Amino acid sequence: MLRAASLRRRLDDLRARFEPEPVAPSASLGESVDRLGAAVERHFALQLGTQQTADRLLHALDVVPQGIVLADRSAQIVFRNRAASEFFTGRHSEALVESAISELIAAAAGGEAGTQTLELYGPPRRALQLRAVPLHEDAPDAEPAGAFLVVDDVSERQRLDAVRRDFVANISHELKTPVGALGVLAETLAGEHDPEVIARLAERMQQEAFRVARTIDDLLQLSQIEARELPTRDVVPVHLVLAEAVDRTRAAAELQGVSLVVHEPSPRLTVVGDRRQLVSALANLCDNAVKYSDRGDEVSLAARSDGSWVEVDVADEGIGIPGTDLERVFERFYRVDRARSRDTGGTGLGLAIVRHVVQNHEGSVTVRSREGEGSTFTLRLPAGPGPVAVSPPAPPRKAAG
Amino acid sequence: MTTNEPEAPVTSDIRTQFHGELDHIQAETLRLAAMVTERIPWGTEVLLGTDLAAAQALIDADDDLDVLSIELEERCYQALVLQAPMARDLRFLVTALRLVSELERSGDLMVNVAKAMRRLYGTAMDPKLRGLISRMGEEAQRLMLVAIDAYAEADEGKAAALDDMDDRLDNLHKDYIQAIFESHRAGNVDLEAGVQLALVGRYYERIGDHAVNIGERVRYMVSGWLPEHTGAARVAARTEHPPPGD
Repeated sequence: MLRAASLRRRLDDLRARFEPEPVAPSASLGESVDRLGAAVERHFALQLGTQQTADRLLHALDVVPQGIVLADRSAQIVFRNRAASEFFTGRHSEALVESAISELIAAAAGGEAGTQTLELYGPPRRALQLRAVPLHEDAPDAEPAGAFLVVDDVSERQRLDAVRRDFVANISHELKTPVGALGVLAETLAGEHDPEVIARLAERMQQEAFRVARTIDDLLQLSQIEARELPTRDVVPVHLVLAEAVDRTRAAAELQGVSLVVHEPSPRLTVVGDRRQLVSALANLCDNAVKYSDRGDEVSLAARSDGSWVEVDVADEGIGIPGTDLERVFERFYRVDRARSRDTGGTGLGLAIVRHVVQNHEGSVTVRSREGEGSTFTLRLPAGPGPVAVSPPAPPRKAAG
Repeated sequence: MTTNEPEAPVTSDIRTQFHGELDHIQAETLRLAAMVTERIPWGTEVLLGTDLAAAQALIDADDDLDVLSIELEERCYQALVLQAPMARDLRFLVTALRLVSELERSGDLMVNVAKAMRRLYGTAMDPKLRGLISRMGEEAQRLMLVAIDAYAEADEGKAAALDDMDDRLDNLHKDYIQAIFESHRAGNVDLEAGVQLALVGRYYERIGDHAVNIGERVRYMVSGWLPEHTGAARVAARTEHPPPGD
């Protein structure tokens, strides 16, 4: 009897370890066994629930695009999500990220939060921001119980900051320069009596006025394209767009001594959209290609389709675009070389218009370039309905030159 | 990340520690290599840009390479002296020592590029020259990346391929020198700028050579093979059978 009582007490004690609230003593040995069994079951159910929640949280962290690293109090990494794991390959630029992570984690585990921005030349070129904070479990003054670090790719944010910063400077430059010139020219004209000089000044004034008018025209066109959804949804044959764009550029090409070569696509190749806008976008690209080519160079146009997308290439053999400017050329008023683009009379808006037109058509525009070898701009547009010919390019046809 | 294939289990604690140290030396060598490889596109951007502060930043950053190089060399010497390693471990440490100097030298070459940018400041380079410089930069970086992969994976095949891959950089270098002549004839660059540009080309070309050297050292690490062995074998053959008439 005595042994049964002590056994019952021991079972109750054991149960107390599984239950948070104080345990009422059991009346009999049988009852204490049942209650212990129930307590153990509850405990395991609770543990399973906790485990499932933890798993769900870990999976959720894996979906987060930022890299997340968690370390214990001795700065040993105990968890890293999928994005962070990519930095633990041990070589190339990832090795540099890894060592920066270890340094920040060590500092954070010692109680010191830190931020570092890594500019990596890659490729791919990117800017990563690393932020580490100490983790405190109880009182904030106590020794940190671990460290937490987030890796954020801030390349896009940095690029947008640059766009915003440069845009204001550029637009004021584009508008103020010709207006300022007009003022000065008019002032000089007022005190001038030599008819030859007057004629020259008047001509310069006309040029500057045209320049400002062109910029305003392009700005208006751009805001128009930006403002509305695609107004018309016609089926437009690609070869007609090509022909029309080439027609518009032919005179300039002849003047410059540049030959335009069209690889005529199948007449069945179509896209859906606004024919006028598409022609204007393509003509803009042709115009640029001609402008930045030297006498005797060739500008070629080609179109192809894989069934669901139509791609139109405008390729030149001109001066090309430096790598650092490559992704910025579609920005409004962005210029690679101010001196040259002023000579060629561009407004700095042509490529911005092109990008907006293709975006309205749910397409995209990309550029590949190498300085001294030339540039290729590619328009990618959804293919129009009907049987689309996936045909090899036809032999080139000289359009001008 | 491992330096060698699975091996006999190490019983001694000191030996385990030693292999931990070898792993650490490898990780640090890879970090040095990553820092050097980053500097190739960095230097090219500096050279083709107009930012003098960026050039100075690249020149100053070379100190980091020097610190890490010295530290690594020191660790290698310590491991050599304290553990007196043999065979594979010995080759591994000797290779690490050689790699550190190849890498450190490559880093210096990109510093030279940054310095050349300052001397070339204000010279308008032809688009063709600029295009070829960017190509040489990419090619030099590609070779270095392959060399590092070969080292990290102890891949002898990859290491051996570097010599042939380097031909592309050499050809680019030839085209580039030709383009300098053309540019000079057209009156676009003067003699001083032309010489400076030619040196820049040489720097990139040398980085490619360092990558090839790393490849040879990796082959030595894996199999004990050295390119000099071919020459040494020829000398041995000559002394044994002197050519007639001598």
